[in-house]
Amino acid sequence: MKSIHIRLLGLLLLVGLSSCEEFLDVNENPNNPEDAPITGLMTNATYETALNVQRVGSTTSNYVQYLASPNPASASDVMDPLNFSGTWFNLYNVMTDLTDLISKAEESDAGHYLGAGQVLMALNLGMTVDIFGDVPYSEGFDFSSVTPTYDDDEQLYAEIMRLLDSGIQNLAGSTTISMGADDFIFQGDVEKWGKFANVLKARFMLHTKGTGSYNESELLAALDNGFSGNEDDAFVTFFEQRFNPWAQVAINNANLLLGGWISTQFIEALDGTSYPTVDPRLGLMIGTTDEGEFVGVLNGEGRGDAPEQGARSTLVPGQFYTSELSPLLIATYAEQKFIEAEAALSTDPGRAYAAYLAGIEAHMDMLEVPQAEKDAYLSDPSVAVGAQALTLDTILKEKWVALFLHPETWNDARRFDYGYKDMTVPANLNADLNGQFIRRLAYPDNEVSRNGQNVPNVTLLDRIWWDQ
Amino acid sequence: MKRRFTLYFVLLTCFLLQGSVLLAQQRTVSGTITSTEDGEVLPGVSIVIEGTSTGTVSDLEGNYSLDVPGPNAVLLFSFIGFATRSEQVANRQTVNIALSPEAGDLDEFIVTAFGISQEKKSLGYSAQSIDAEAITKMKQPNLVNALQGQVAGVQVTNSGGAPGQSARIIIRGINSLDPGADNQPLFVVDGVPVDNSTIESSGTPRGLSNRMADVNPNDIESMSVLKGAAATALYGVRAANGAVIITTKKGKEGQIRVNYNGSVGIEELNRLPRLQDEYGQGFSGQYQPNSFWPSWGAPISQVQQTVPDHRYQDNWNRAFNTGVQVDNSVSISGGNEKATFYGSIGNLTQEGIIPFSTWDRTTAKLSGSVKANEKFDFSGSINFSNTGGNRVPHDRFMERMMYWSETTDVRDYINEDGTMRTYGNTNPIYDARFATYEDDVNRIIGNINLNYNPTDWLSFSYRLGNDFYSDTRTEITPGPKGIDGERALSSTGLLEETRINSRDLTSNFYITLKKQFNSDWNTSLRLGNDIFERRFDRITARGENFVIPEFYNLNNTTQIFASQGKSLRRLVGFYGDLMVDYKNFLFLNLTGRNDISSTLPKDNNSFFYPSVNLGYVFSENLSLPSWVTFGKLRASWAQVGKDTNPHILGATYASPSIFPLNGQVGFTRNSVFGDPNLRPELTTSLEFGLQTAFWDNRANFDVTYYKSNAQDQIIPVPISDATGFSSYITNAGEIENSGFEFILGGTPVQTQDFSWSINANLSINNNEIKSIREGIDEIVVGSQFGYVGSTVTMKLIEGEAYGNIFGSSYQRLGADPDNLFLDRSLPVIIGANGFPVRTGTQLVLGNAVPKWIGGIRNDFTYKGFELSFLVDFRTGVEQYNQFANFLSAFGKNEFTEAREDFRVFEGVLADGSPNTQEVWLGQGVGPDGVNYGAGYWRNHYRTTSENFVTDASFIKLRNLTLGYNLSPEILESTPFRSARVSVAANNIILYTPWDGFDPESFSAGAGGNAVGFTGLGFPGVQSVFFNLNLGL
Repeated sequence: MKSIHIRLLGLLLLVGLSSCEEFLDVNENPNNPEDAPITGLMTNATYETALNVQRVGSTTSNYVQYLASPNPASASDVMDPLNFSGTWFNLYNVMTDLTDLISKAEESDAGHYLGAGQVLMALNLGMTVDIFGDVPYSEGFDFSSVTPTYDDDEQLYAEIMRLLDSGIQNLAGSTTISMGADDFIFQGDVEKWGKFANVLKARFMLHTKGTGSYNESELLAALDNGFSGNEDDAFVTFFEQRFNPWAQVAINNANLLLGGWISTQFIEALDGTSYPTVDPRLGLMIGTTDEGEFVGVLNGEGRGDAPEQGARSTLVPGQFYTSELSPLLIATYAEQKFIEAEAALSTDPGRAYAAYLAGIEAHMDMLEVPQAEKDAYLSDPSVAVGAQALTLDTILKEKWVALFLHPETWNDARRFDYGYKDMTVPANLNADLNGQFIRRLAYPDNEVSRNGQNVPNVTLLDRIWWDQ
Repeated sequence: MKRRFTLYFVLLTCFLLQGSVLLAQQRTVSGTITSTEDGEVLPGVSIVIEGTSTGTVSDLEGNYSLDVPGPNAVLLFSFIGFATRSEQVANRQTVNIALSPEAGDLDEFIVTAFGISQEKKSLGYSAQSIDAEAITKMKQPNLVNALQGQVAGVQVTNSGGAPGQSARIIIRGINSLDPGADNQPLFVVDGVPVDNSTIESSGTPRGLSNRMADVNPNDIESMSVLKGAAATALYGVRAANGAVIITTKKGKEGQIRVNYNGSVGIEELNRLPRLQDEYGQGFSGQYQPNSFWPSWGAPISQVQQTVPDHRYQDNWNRAFNTGVQVDNSVSISGGNEKATFYGSIGNLTQEGIIPFSTWDRTTAKLSGSVKANEKFDFSGSINFSNTGGNRVPHDRFMERMMYWSETTDVRDYINEDGTMRTYGNTNPIYDARFATYEDDVNRIIGNINLNYNPTDWLSFSYRLGNDFYSDTRTEITPGPKGIDGERALSSTGLLEETRINSRDLTSNFYITLKKQFNSDWNTSLRLGNDIFERRFDRITARGENFVIPEFYNLNNTTQIFASQGKSLRRLVGFYGDLMVDYKNFLFLNLTGRNDISSTLPKDNNSFFYPSVNLGYVFSENLSLPSWVTFGKLRASWAQVGKDTNPHILGATYASPSIFPLNGQVGFTRNSVFGDPNLRPELTTSLEFGLQTAFWDNRANFDVTYYKSNAQDQIIPVPISDATGFSSYITNAGEIENSGFEFILGGTPVQTQDFSWSINANLSINNNEIKSIREGIDEIVVGSQFGYVGSTVTMKLIEGEAYGNIFGSSYQRLGADPDNLFLDRSLPVIIGANGFPVRTGTQLVLGNAVPKWIGGIRNDFTYKGFELSFLVDFRTGVEQYNQFANFLSAFGKNEFTEAREDFRVFEGVLADGSPNTQEVWLGQGVGPDGVNYGAGYWRNHYRTTSENFVTDASFIKLRNLTLGYNLSPEILESTPFRSARVSVAANNIILYTPWDGFDPESFSAGAGGNAVGFTGLGFPGVQSVFFNLNLGL
């Protein structure tokens, strides 16, 4: 009796143990696949890249005084060190996906994906370097180190150029897989990708204007291969399911989640206060008070006694930048023309002046400014200054308007020493800045707590390599 | 069980006594013996004629009959667990006797692992149990709350006062460094582990239930708490944080019994912060009728002179309702020698203090057991519950109360056309009414038990358990109605449908072998196999932008998002349990268990861990003074392994929930990377204890020391995003908990009519994070918003305790720059502007894990009356008072009434000289001509976290009950066997230094670990209940 029991038990255990392994083999992730299609990576990378432009832009827009906080001494206005852990994550998240996209494209000889991936990598890396300076890259993305070291920002610029050059080459070459609707920027138009890469090349080269590595002819050559008009602009159009983030800011503000208030600096530059002309674009870019007036907020001062609604200009839903389905602009023909104007200014004022006017016109066309108003503005003596009288100030003022809300303006502002007419440091400026404008963003708290030994010790006044 | 043993024993004695009984044949006395406790008959009671060896025992109906020598004979009635009574026969032929349970002797048996009832005497570890009465007396709809203050080393925290809101239970401190880990014990109902997770709402907090709230407390017979690893080693990985073993009521042999319990309760806010009522709407001391600012305006009395209806509305008292709770349950039970059954139906409806908050529970239970023959018996039970209610957005309610003007009636919230009535800000009650979130849970917990005893030394047992629930949730925020000028809650409106299905299956088979080698040595060996599986699936569909207003269907929205998350976890365990008993005073228990988990890498997924515990009952072995009734030393050492969550290994890709967009689905590399070489965690614990009883159990004392080290913790280590991941789940770190637990009990007075008993417990816990991972300085458990740099963060740092709250503070003169802790005793540095100087450097401002917790229970009975109260406390605990931070930003604290005053802030200037500068506290230009801007509280006070991280200790009257049991004489003329009326009061704050709502409420909900943040949680409530219990 006893032995039968024991034998039975032994048998049961044996059967149990062998089926056990199979029974327990259920840990494969049912929610997240172990691999992703290259098209899916492209979709997310193009979408998130556009959002990254907006994320960085929403920070820099207060620094370049497009926007101002409705609250007094708001940290975003007064240039306090803020925690940019979220922005940092988003930039690295896209670069991580692009690393995977690039290696997949290499594996499958998908040259166009490879090229587009390199261009997007250059753009995201460039944005990261431009705001933070030295950042991790060479030891990044592949988990080779838990605490990746930081690369020198100047060397990273060389990598950006290498990525763009290689990208241009790959986009012009052959591919085993063609891009299509998964590409949210150009819907697979490889020719536009090539132009876009050249515009980015010119953008990043322009940053180095104050350094020894600047090469004007190379920059102008890149521009020759750039956009042919507004129809080539790089942007992502938004969706019924997901509104344009600036539209969301405007909608939230209308719902009293305050944001998107316009700086007095911006309004006075366009309403005839700082310059003799009234810019017809003003009413197409921002809203008015209940009385139909344009009233801004002084950066750092807050709205004072003004109520939450109706007494100040804000972003309002439904305009060019703030419609639910509005495009988020990554790089535009207008920007290209202003780059050209600035680059050619010293050597070919005629080319510079033509580019300057073309830049304004391109932006006005984008906003659908009526022809008569456009003509009036472009012929106003304060605008139509003539090739000989054209200055960097004039070019950068118009570029500032044309790149409304775009993060590139902060790069210009720093190169230009915030030299825009009437621009002063915000009220209640962060005392540590000693009365000066901010020159970089603080490294994010997450990075300090997770990779503290490698994070460079910098202040907000320490300039990045091209801003010397 | 206990009674049955005694019955056999006494029957045996009976045979031996038979001879002597025949000799004396004077007269016969008979009667029935019952228990005073429940009126039930007592079989097996021994009846002996005093001074003789003549006697008998009562039969199954509690009847006895005995021949006595004459009227002078005195009968002694004795029964284990009951006080012995003596009664002179006199001239009576019938002597009916009611025996009272003996104090201090009730917990001789305790239900331990796998539902095995074990003699408490033999345990080599600490375990504590509470009985049905102590549970139902608490009148807590949530079973977890019934443990509050009653068990040493167990901390139960109500996450808030919402109907059905979760309660968190932590035994002997937090054992995991993982901020997302569940540190709560395993709950086991009738031998089957059940789900006690809390799935909070996405978006604004709604205060959802922990799943144990699905169980009707009226169905519970007893709960025992197994605290250390030694007690839970047999349950394996899932009980690494301890276990709460619940035994439900069963039918008993005898007549059919019907019990009814009914109660009606009302509840109200138990505490308000101290608020000002002098200043009204506006800013900078100016009255503005439509201002966003509720309380920075002009004095109300001043404005009243020109605006007659401008007056303080007392909104904070008026906004809250009186909550109502109605609970009814009926049970029927009975059985005979062969079979028993128990059935019950219960219904609870509850309306909370925030308007429109509700929670209902309907339960039905059926259980039965059948003894097929001497060798085979089986039993089973099925428990159905339906729970759910409307979970108001309490956080948003409280926030909107903050913004709401104190001079506008908050109750006047709706216009005739159904739109919101407001001067500008969103009305909190309107939002609570229309922004609904309803959950509807259907749950079935069932089990089947089979026992086969082929011989007296061998038995086979099998138990199959099932715990299934579906949770249907619907969240609605209405969009605009399309009425001109309306203030809609949302510009688009949203509808979110969530469907959660979860199923736990547990299979447990074990063989028990018993062997008595000789009269000194008894052994029993148990070998078993345990299989567990949990399938979980959650689907969420969210629609936004309604086409037709107020028609709530996903088809009626223009934007739809859907997401799904599912998981499957399986565990197979083999275990052995050897118990050796030497001369009934030395008890040795060895256990071993090997678990194989589906969640770990295949090479590391099988792991073994042993335990040993020893109990030495020295009172049976040594000759001790007669007043020492019982004494035992116990020691144990145990290890418990722990696996991890399913599906976390390696790198994966995820599709963000926003896709598809334009028909395209994007993918991104998941930012979490699970170490492919993950090993199981290992917790090693050591425990020593002493248990004593004196003067015939009239007093008892128990002390336990424990230390547990959880090593190789599986934690998500935050890593640089530049690595390609943000979080790396790996083995890293160790956490140590140690502490003492004291239990003191006694019956100072016990007479025929009056008794008084006390039970007190006290525990202290020390916690230290021994290590994290090289290169990683800290792990953030959570953070909570505070205005202008006063956000606080709970961080884990090597060498420090769990629960430290970091935040900004005032600069202190002579502060050691290397000191991580704020030294509040140093003088505050005052700046040139006359205000304290703030520093954003993050310092430890307090710790959110209570150092000391304890409770005292007193029970008095006098004839039919019973009075009991339970007081519990916690101390050595600080929390972040987010509410106070908001109140100060909006000028609502009582102390902001000083806004027209001047003050010299106590402190020193940077050079160490005392501050003498007088500053004005108000807004704008002060009487001294200085512009103070937004004023002291907005510019200074609210920006500094140290003002809001404060002592959150409390002493609470957890429960006070006054009951009356109708006497048998009265009941005789009624159909009832027992009747009891009682009134109870709950959760009354006796003392707290905390200025705010009940400091017990916290934001994270029971599943979260960031307990130091009170947030804008659902305020705590105090309640009064009227109860009626009837027995047929």
